[in-house]
Amino acid sequence: MTALPVLRPSRWAPLAALLTTSVLLTACGSGDGGSGGGSGRPKSGGTLTFAVGSDAGCVDPQQVGSNDTIYSVRQTVDSLTDQDPATGRIVPWLAKSWDINSDATRFTFHLRSGVTFSDGSALTAQVVKDNFDAVPKLGALGTLAEGYLSGVQSTTVVDPLTVKVTFKQPNTQFLQATSTHTLGIESSASVRKTPQQKCSDGIVGSGPFVLKQYVQNQSITLAKRTGYAWGSALWSKKGEAYLDKLVFKVVPEAGVRAGSLQSGQVDAISSVGKANEVALKGGQVALQRRANPGVVFGLGLNNARPLLKDARVRQAIQVAVDRSQIADTVFPTGTRPATSVLAHTTPDYSDLSSDLSTDTAKAKSLLDQAGWQAGGDGIRTKDGKRLSLTITWFPNSATNQPALELVQQQLKAVGIDVVLKQLQVTQFATTLQSGDFDVVWGNVTRSDPDILRSSFSTRLGNFYHLPASSLDTALSGQAAATDTAKRGKLVAEAQRLLVQNAYYVPVVELQTQLGVSKKVHDLAFDSGSRVQLHDTWIG
Amino acid sequence: MSQSLVDGTDDTDETADAADAAETALGLARPPVAGPASGPGRRADVRRVLRFLVRRPGLLLSVAVVVLVVLASFRPDLFTSQDPLKGVPSRNFRGPSGGHWFGTDELGRDVFSRVVHGAQLSLKATLIAVLVAFVVGGLLGVVAGFVGRWVDDVLMRFVDVLLSIPALFLSLALVTALGYGTVKVAVAVGIASVASFARVARAEVLRVRQAVFVEASRSCGARWYSVLGRHVLPNAAGPVVVLATLDFGSSILAVSALSFLGYGAPPPAPEWGTLISDGRNYLANAWWLTALPGLAIAATVLATNRIARALDGEWSRQR
Amino acid sequence: MRRYVIKRLAQAVGVLWAAYTVSFLVLDFLPGDPVTAMAGAGMDSGQVDPAQLAALRHEYGFDKPVLVQYAEYLGRAVRGDFGDAVSSGRPVTSVIGDALPQTLQLTGAALLLAVVLGGGLAMVATYTSRRWLRQLLLSLPPLGVSVPTFWVGLLLVETFSFRLHWFPAFGNDGLRGLVLPALTLAVPTGAQVAQVLAKSLLTALDQAYVETARAKGAGRRRVHLRHALRNASLPALTVVGLLVGQLIAGSVVVETVFSRDGLGRVTAAAVTAQDIPLVQGVVVFGALIFVATNLIVDLVYPLLDPRIVVASDRRASFA
Repeated sequence: MTALPVLRPSRWAPLAALLTTSVLLTACGSGDGGSGGGSGRPKSGGTLTFAVGSDAGCVDPQQVGSNDTIYSVRQTVDSLTDQDPATGRIVPWLAKSWDINSDATRFTFHLRSGVTFSDGSALTAQVVKDNFDAVPKLGALGTLAEGYLSGVQSTTVVDPLTVKVTFKQPNTQFLQATSTHTLGIESSASVRKTPQQKCSDGIVGSGPFVLKQYVQNQSITLAKRTGYAWGSALWSKKGEAYLDKLVFKVVPEAGVRAGSLQSGQVDAISSVGKANEVALKGGQVALQRRANPGVVFGLGLNNARPLLKDARVRQAIQVAVDRSQIADTVFPTGTRPATSVLAHTTPDYSDLSSDLSTDTAKAKSLLDQAGWQAGGDGIRTKDGKRLSLTITWFPNSATNQPALELVQQQLKAVGIDVVLKQLQVTQFATTLQSGDFDVVWGNVTRSDPDILRSSFSTRLGNFYHLPASSLDTALSGQAAATDTAKRGKLVAEAQRLLVQNAYYVPVVELQTQLGVSKKVHDLAFDSGSRVQLHDTWIG
Repeated sequence: MSQSLVDGTDDTDETADAADAAETALGLARPPVAGPASGPGRRADVRRVLRFLVRRPGLLLSVAVVVLVVLASFRPDLFTSQDPLKGVPSRNFRGPSGGHWFGTDELGRDVFSRVVHGAQLSLKATLIAVLVAFVVGGLLGVVAGFVGRWVDDVLMRFVDVLLSIPALFLSLALVTALGYGTVKVAVAVGIASVASFARVARAEVLRVRQAVFVEASRSCGARWYSVLGRHVLPNAAGPVVVLATLDFGSSILAVSALSFLGYGAPPPAPEWGTLISDGRNYLANAWWLTALPGLAIAATVLATNRIARALDGEWSRQR
Repeated sequence: MRRYVIKRLAQAVGVLWAAYTVSFLVLDFLPGDPVTAMAGAGMDSGQVDPAQLAALRHEYGFDKPVLVQYAEYLGRAVRGDFGDAVSSGRPVTSVIGDALPQTLQLTGAALLLAVVLGGGLAMVATYTSRRWLRQLLLSLPPLGVSVPTFWVGLLLVETFSFRLHWFPAFGNDGLRGLVLPALTLAVPTGAQVAQVLAKSLLTALDQAYVETARAKGAGRRRVHLRHALRNASLPALTVVGLLVGQLIAGSVVVETVFSRDGLGRVTAAAVTAQDIPLVQGVVVFGALIFVATNLIVDLVYPLLDPRIVVASDRRASFA
C-alpha cells in the first residue's frame, strides 16, 4: 500500500548530531521537461481537475494512508513544519521556530500568530495539544499517526503560542513527523469528533483549500481558502493559492484516466503505469516521476501461518520471484527492482541484491528440503496438502494486478499455487489488523529507516506476525541510537536479518508517476512524493 | 440487459417474412409447439432440417458459431496452442497479427487463446445459470399449474415479486450474500430468471392439462403422476426449451456483466467479462484488449438468439 | 373506477412488502455472517474481537430470533428507515437519495432515446415499402439486445472520447457528459422497444379496422400514424415498467463504465463492500420503481382504453 508519509532525517542544527545526514531524494522529471517550468506569468483562478484511481473512504488527513486520497486531503491542513523535497531540510510552517533538547526527548514549538481554521477559530497551543492528545486514540486507521507519537509522555501548553511535547525515550524522528499530513493540525472542534465522523464528514483545517464536498468512491471537491496567509516557507507564492477550485475524480481505470488526460477532460492523473506511458508521451502531457523511499512493494507474509512458519518456504518464495521482469514489464520506466527491504533512496539502505537474485533451482531445492513434493498438476503437496497461498491486494494502483499476476506465474513455475484476492482500499487497515491473510501486497512510503521498526518490530503492531528475535533488538537499538554510525550499522543489521529470514519478500521499489497537462504549471511533489497544489496555476 | 422482452426478429434471411415477427409479441404467450418428433420419418426429418438451414444462411452461420464456441469450451487446444495464462512479458501490447490474432495483453499473453479458454468458464457459468432457471422455474411452474388452487396462487405471487425486482439487482443481492466466483455468479444469474420460466411452464401445463387427450386419459383412471409424466410434461416442454435457448443468450450477457463488474473468478482466469474489464486499464493504448473479446460475446449471444427464434417460430411453422 | 384504483394500490403495496421480504431472506439468511462482513468492511472496527462482534450483533439485532428481527426491520422499513450504510455510516435512504438525481437524469435520457430511436425504427421499418430497408432495420434490434452494454460503452469511449475528443469519457459534466452513457444504456432498451412496437404495429396493420380505414380512403401515412400506431402503442405501454426497472439496473454497468456518480456506482460499491443494508435498500428501491411505474401505467391505461377496467383481472398477474 502506498501508505504513509515520508520521514526524512533533517539537517536542522540541533538534530544534526543525532540523525543521519543523508539527503537522497531527487525529483526526476521525465524527458518531456515536466510541468514544473514556469513559462509565462502565474495567474490566479481556475479549476484543476485531477483524476485519481481510488478512494480511501476517508477524508481525514490524520487517518488516510493511501496516496490517491492524500493528494486531496493534504491540501486542507497545514503542519507544524514542512520538509524540503530537494534537501530534506525541515522548515517553518505553522511553527515559526522550535527547540529540541540534547537527547531529543523534549520538543518545543513556537507557533505563528494570526492563523485561523476555516471555521474561524484561531490556532493556539491548546489546539495543537488537543490534536496530539487525540491522535493516539484514532484506532485502526490512525496507527501511523500513533506511531509518530509513540512513547509520548505529555503535551503541555507553555503559553498561548508555545507548545511542548515530551517523550519517555529519545525520539529522533518526531520533528520530521510534524511535517507530514498525518500530523496535520485540525481545529479543536474536529478533533473532538469520533474517528468515523472525521472520516465521512471531513475535518476543519487551516490549509490553503477547504473541503466542499465528498462523495464516497466518486469525488472530492475543494475550494480555495480566502485570506490564507500562513503558507510553508517552501512555497513561492505568498498568501492564498492560485487555483479557485480543486476537483478530484475517482476514475478506477488507468486507461480511462490516460485517455481523459489526452482529450483534455482532466488536467492531471495519478498512478501512470508503464502501459500508458507511450500513449501519453508527447502532445500536451508531461509525465512527472519521483522515487518513493521507505519499505518497497513486496509480499507481506503472515509468518504465523503454518505454511509460512517454515523459513525454507519463505526463502523459496524470495528467490523464485523475478524482480527485474516485474519492474520492466509493469512499472514506470526507471523503476528499480528491490535490492533490500528498504528502497535505495532511504537513509541507511544497504544493497542486498545478491541475496535477492532469481534462482528457481534454489527455490525448488528449498521446497524439496521442506518436504513439499512436486504434484501432478504442477503444484507441490505435502501430507496431502497443496502448497497454495492467497495474496490479498488492494486496487490502489493500476500496477498491482499485472505485477501480482506475474508473481503468480513465477511462483507457479516452482510449484506454488497463488490465489489473488482483491479487497477494497478501505479494508486495508482492518485486514492487516485482523491478521486474516496469508500474504498482503503493499509498501510504506517513509524516508526514515525507523519504518522498519513500525513494520516489523514484534513490540509494535507486528502485522506480519514475526517471531521475537534479535531483529527486535536491532530495530529498537536504531530508534534510540544517537550516534549516526551506530544507527547505520543497526539498520543494516535489521535489513540483513529481514532478507535472510525472508520475513518479507521485497519485490519492487515504488516510483510515483503522474501525468500532468502542459497547461498546468508548478504542480510540485512534496517530500513524500505527494503533491503540493498551493503554488500550482493553470495558464 | 439480462432480460430480453421478446425474442429476436432477425429477418436478414430470405424466406422469413417480417410479418411473421408480429406473431409472438411478448415471448410469453407463444403458440403451442408440437411435441418432439419421433419415430419413422427420421430421414425425411434430416432432409427437412437441411433444407430449412440452407434457405437461412444467417441461421446456418449462427449454428456454426455456437458449434465453434461449444467446441472451444471442450477442446480449446483445437483452436490455439498458446498458453492462456502465461506469455512472454517482453512481448506485451502487440496488436492483432498473424501470430496473435487478437494481439497480446499487458503480460504478453495471447488474447485469442485467452478468449478461447475463457469460453469454457463463461459457457459453464451460462449453462449453470440456465439449468438453475430451468429446473427451479420449471418446477415452480409445473407444481403451480398442476396442483392449482392456493398453491398456484402463492407460487405465482412469489414469481410476480421476483419479476418486480430488476434482474441485475436480484443477481447483485445474491452475489452479495454468496460471494464471488464463476459458479456463484452463475447461480445468481439463474435465480434471477427463474420467474419467466415458472410463468411459461405454468401456462403450458395449464394448456396441456385441459387438452382433450389429457382429459381422456384422466377419465380412463390414469394416476396423476402418469398423466403428468406421460402427457403433460412432454407436451408442455417445447416452449420451456425455447425459452431456455433464449435465456442462454441473456445469461451470457448477465454472467459477463457480473464478471465485468469484478464478481467472477479471480485473475488470471480469462472469463469473458473479466477480459474486457482488465482491458479497460489499457483502453488508451491497446484497443484490442476490450474490442475483440467483446466481439466474441456479441457473436455468441447473437447466434443463440437467432437459433432460439428459429426454434420458436419458423421451424414450427414449417411443419 | 375507485375500486380499480384501490385494488391496484393494494397490489402494489403487497408486491413491495414481498420484495422486501425476499431481499431480507436473501441477504440476511444466506450463508455468510453479515456481522462479520460488516465488521470487516467497516472502517472503525480495527480489532475484530469477539466482544465487539457480539456488540455489533446486538446492535443490529442479529442475536434475536429470526421472526423478531424480521418484524423489527420491516417496522423500520415501513417508516422509511433502512438502517445505516456500513461503509459510510450514513442512512441508506439518504445515500440512495443523494445518488438518485444523477441516475434519474441518465435513465430518463436513455428512456427518451430508446423510445425515440426504437420507436422511430419500428415506424420506418413497418411503413417503408422497400424490402431491403425493412429487413435492414428489422435486423438491428436483435443486434441491440445481443451486444454487452459495457462493451458498447467502451467502444463509444474509445471512439468518441479518446479518438475524436467529442464527448468526455467519464463523469457527470453537463449535457455533453450525458450523451455517451445515455446512448449506451439506450441500446438494449431501444432495441426492445423497437421489437415490441414493430410486432404490434404489424399486428395492428392486419386488423379489420385498418382495412376499414383504408377502404374509407384514409391515406397510408394517416392509417399508419393514427390508427395503427395508436393501437399498437397500448401493448407497448405495458412493458414500460419492465424497461424502467432494467434501465435503473443497467445504470450499475453504465455508470461503472463511465465512472459516473449515481445509484449504479453506489450499488456496485455496496456489493463489493458487502454493505448489506445498502444493497437491500437498492433492491427494494428497484422494486419500488418497477411497481410505481406499473401503477402509473395501470392507472393511465383505462383512460386510453376503457375496456381495461372490465378486464382488469386478466392483467392482474402483471402487477
